[in-house]
Amino acid sequence: MSSLRNAISRRAHKERAQPEARKRFGLLEKHKDYVVRAKAFHRKEEIIGKLKEKAAFRNPDEFYFKMINSKTVGGVHRPKPEANKYTEEELLLLKNKDIGYIHQSIRSEKKKIEKLSSTLHELDTKRPNKHVYFAEDREEAKEIQSRIGEGSNTPSFDNIPSRIKKKTASSYRELEERKQRLQKLEKLYGELALQKELKKPGRKRKLREDEMVNPTSQPVYKWRAQRKR
Amino acid sequence: MAGGRGDGGGRGRRFGGDDGSDRRFGGRSGPLRGMPAGGRSGGGRGGGMKGGSRVVVQPHKHDGVFITKAKEDALCTRNMCPGESVYGEKRVSVQKEDRTKVEYRVWNPFRSKLAAAVLGGVDNIWIAPGTRVLYLGAASGTTVSHVSDIVGPEGLVYAVEFSHRSGRDLVNMAKKRTNVIPIIEDARHPARYRMLVGMVDVIFSDVAQPDQARILGLNASYFLKCGGHFVISIKANCIDCTQPAEAVFASEVEKLKAEQFKPSEQVTLEPFERDHACVVGGYRMPKKLGI
Ligand SMILES: C[S@@+](CC[C@H](N)C(=O)[O-])C[C@H]1O[C@@H](n2cnc3c(N)ncnc32)[C@H](O)[C@@H]1O
Repeated sequence: MSSLRNAISRRAHKERAQPEARKRFGLLEKHKDYVVRAKAFHRKEEIIGKLKEKAAFRNPDEFYFKMINSKTVGGVHRPKPEANKYTEEELLLLKNKDIGYIHQSIRSEKKKIEKLSSTLHELDTKRPNKHVYFAEDREEAKEIQSRIGEGSNTPSFDNIPSRIKKKTASSYRELEERKQRLQKLEKLYGELALQKELKKPGRKRKLREDEMVNPTSQPVYKWRAQRKR
Repeated sequence: MAGGRGDGGGRGRRFGGDDGSDRRFGGRSGPLRGMPAGGRSGGGRGGGMKGGSRVVVQPHKHDGVFITKAKEDALCTRNMCPGESVYGEKRVSVQKEDRTKVEYRVWNPFRSKLAAAVLGGVDNIWIAPGTRVLYLGAASGTTVSHVSDIVGPEGLVYAVEFSHRSGRDLVNMAKKRTNVIPIIEDARHPARYRMLVGMVDVIFSDVAQPDQARILGLNASYFLKCGGHFVISIKANCIDCTQPAEAVFASEVEKLKAEQFKPSEQVTLEPFERDHACVVGGYRMPKKLGI
């Protein structure tokens, strides 16, 4: 029965809106909205009541360290900043650990470079070295000169499969990358070591550009000579 | 070059990194069973390095020296005793057409001045298969092992070393290489080992002493045949650290000439060694024949 009744379209009831005259009060509040608002209000009322009660029964002698160590800033609770969580020595120790790690990385990188370069002899590139021939007389010199001219020193490698060429190239690439990494690590190590030295006692001062014996872009410090004993 | 030893790689592969199936073919079953079982011989694989070769090995211009290309790009020598490294160097194994395996050892120029000289493009090292070599200043036998590889079973290497500590490694190395004769003696007194050493074709000297030219001359007078050759490595700051390297090399060459040597060429060993040079030449060369 009811399903049949549903078949006939009925007039849709629209929700009542805020009358035009009361527009300035915003949206018309429904009972649902009221319930939410009322509940929130009562919760706050209760909290305020409890706090008032606490304040009324406050013990004037009560003390916690948090009362000094922390405060509210603009109504927001802020714990005191922990700037000196680690002591000077502890910080130095942490720095040392970092340096140690970098030192170790440098060593392992060096080892790997040594291993790679022991099998990568750059057979196809031009050598930077010097080759001198000795001749007794002019005649011999000429002969040697012509001999050098005709024969090229580098062995020819034209029939190598590209598969193998690729492998060789990738080995060289790895070597180059490792060398660059080593350079970066060494620079970092230098910086950390300098910082560590600067932390140590002793009077020192940064040298000006014109005071350096061999100028670099890096800062240079000079310690005042100190009698040990 | 290199005549019969142009084995050019074959179906080569790296040593050690190979899988089991590959090993079954060449290594264990031997040629008799291996050939028919494989069923691949002759078909299609014509030239030097086709098929699944992972390594290419080619002869270098110096006889007995090879070049390997793969993950490595290196000088190497044919290993006299396969399966063994002398100073932790890498080995490369290559299978030839007839399924026999050949092993090569990478020759590290950072550890061996002779290798650095070869890479430096020296024209002649005079050390070749079948030659007899007197090696002064052998140390632990790093270079000696490669010289032994080059001269092969027909050649001989007399390795003279002064320090007992290095000599121990040298002797251990020589136990496995029949063509190396270790001599723990001072090279300044060749008379003490003249009973052990016969005439030689080449003297290689790497003693790193200020009087090395004299040591070389002395040994040459005892053991080097007329028209034989020498190779000497000169470390500039071992001779005179106050002078520039070039000047030291020149003065050493003069000293050599005074000892009846006739230097023919000199290479510096950059980038492998700093302020080092190798001088190569002949001894008591017959007149008007040149080197
Ligand atoms: C630079 S090392 C040779 C390294 C070796 N040629 C190599 O490449 O593996 C020099 C060696 O010569 C040895 N030596 C120095 N003076 C010597 C002498 N008078 N007689 C024999 N050996 C000597 C030293 O003990 C040292 O081991």
